[in-house]
Amino acid sequence: MLKTEKSLEEMSKQQVVDYLNETVKPEEGVIPAYLLGDPKVYDIEHEKVFLKTWVFIGHDSEVPNKGDFMTRELAGYSLIITRDAEGEIRAFYNMCTHRGMKLCRADKGNKSLFTCPYHGFNFKNTGELVGVPLQKDIYGGNLDRSEMGLHKVKLESYKGLLFGTWNENAEPLEEFLGDIKWYLDILVGRAEMEVIGVPQRFVVNSNWKVGSDNFVGDSYHTMVTHGSIAKLGMVPNATYSKRGFQIHTDNGHGLNLGTPNPDFAFPEELKDEFKTNLSEEQYGVLSNLKNMIGNVFPNLSFLISHTKIKDQFISNTSIRMWRPIGHNKMEVIAWMLVEKNASQDWKDRSRDSFILTFSPSGIFEQDDTEVFTDITEAAQGPMPFLKNLTYNYTMGLHREPVDFIGPGVAYDDKFTEASQRNFYKYWLELMTK
Amino acid sequence: MNVEKMLLKCQFEQWLYDEAQLLDDIEFDDWFDLMHSSLHYQMPVRVNKEGVERPDYSTEMFTFNDDIELLKLRVDRLKTDYAWAEIPPSRTRRFVSNVRVKDYVEGEKAVVKSYLLIYRSRSTDIQHDLISGERNDEFIFEEGKWKLSKRIFIVDQSTINTRNLAIFV
Repeated sequence: MLKTEKSLEEMSKQQVVDYLNETVKPEEGVIPAYLLGDPKVYDIEHEKVFLKTWVFIGHDSEVPNKGDFMTRELAGYSLIITRDAEGEIRAFYNMCTHRGMKLCRADKGNKSLFTCPYHGFNFKNTGELVGVPLQKDIYGGNLDRSEMGLHKVKLESYKGLLFGTWNENAEPLEEFLGDIKWYLDILVGRAEMEVIGVPQRFVVNSNWKVGSDNFVGDSYHTMVTHGSIAKLGMVPNATYSKRGFQIHTDNGHGLNLGTPNPDFAFPEELKDEFKTNLSEEQYGVLSNLKNMIGNVFPNLSFLISHTKIKDQFISNTSIRMWRPIGHNKMEVIAWMLVEKNASQDWKDRSRDSFILTFSPSGIFEQDDTEVFTDITEAAQGPMPFLKNLTYNYTMGLHREPVDFIGPGVAYDDKFTEASQRNFYKYWLELMTK
Repeated sequence: MNVEKMLLKCQFEQWLYDEAQLLDDIEFDDWFDLMHSSLHYQMPVRVNKEGVERPDYSTEMFTFNDDIELLKLRVDRLKTDYAWAEIPPSRTRRFVSNVRVKDYVEGEKAVVKSYLLIYRSRSTDIQHDLISGERNDEFIFEEGKWKLSKRIFIVDQSTINTRNLAIFV
């Protein structure tokens, strides 16, 4: 039956929020399709999620030297990330404080001064305004440069992962991450890690949540979407993806941990470094790890993947951001990380396995983006709202968590949707706050 | 340009046109046969540099970085029933132009640069994707045929505007 009430478009913001509260039921496994297709929901998300939480902006190894900088986005606004002469990393809004021109238009580089292309205002990489052309002459000595530094953006890091937020009252990053830190240690804290080259970037006509949902807990799709990989003998068999644990933690974070693994997935010669950086329990998980796929709320996904290429096993570690561009469009930014002290041969093989499997040409990733695009398209327009179309997220609702060596709520195989329900539960909490 | 050079240019233009046709007609096995066993097939990630500093692409991260074995894997994968990214296959049209023979040793090797524009249409979507760039190709003459031994494709976008590269460049 068609509804007689207002369409989402006609609703006030408060009415949309009330409607979300009424129709989004993560704990019952009911998620309406309009969440992936409605521009109004997207606008509220921008304000209540992306302007409120910590959002990933990069890895500190991307600006390794004094004077290095890179530009990134935070909730749709351009940032300059700099490393100053003392080695301190800062983030600024990429906007001249005089007339608002975008100050820096390169992806990355090395310089300590940024000159605005409009009137030539000069800013140091510490944010201070240090030069104004003809200042004395035209301002008569009345311009207080100290009041005109670049807008500083709140930035904190965990194990090299840099996060920023526009929310001055945001909880400390480590509190926001909470128990997921234990797993991030395995991902990026196991050794000194570095980003290889630059991130891959491509645009997919997909709502960003489809990506987060896929990584936070969906190993079920691997059997079919990635069936070609098993056919090629790169992974054991089509059901390999079930084995392991699904874990979720507070604030919508979650992961799937593939285990056991008869082979050690990481560089053997770095075992001592791993043991130094990890607890005994974490090292135990690492030694048995086949893969690890997860998502830090809202849109930072991560992956350790172990596949057989040219008859040789190799793992690769990557992080990817589903950067929203619109309600039906996102930019995928994918960074590949490797142990800094690994051999060059390992680094090269690991990178090439990443490119082959997870990159725009990746033979895993390309099938995912096909699915993401079609899901998003089917959710567009007023009909999914009108007809109350919903997705089923009930898998594993009947199951009880098990004891696991790491923190969080764990289930003893990966085929459940508890992590997705946990993702949407926190999403709803923020949206309706 | 003398007649000899024109014929030479024409010869590689023809090779590239034939290759384009095989890819557009999804004849991947025949396309794969054009490759030399020493193939290096690479597409670096393009970066946005501030000035005229070159190269303006990454020398460490690539969208493709295949040898003959990995390229074979991609071709074999497309033949499984699960290569969803190309089910149904994209309709593509490869436009090759600005062909320049940079180096040539008769019956041995050649270096050829060309421009490439790929039009890609998926399913019933009325929007299309365009992928533009320069090919830097190297050829080896083997058993009476020119085989591609190296391709570096410099794409013209730092953020690629197509959902994936399940197609070849």
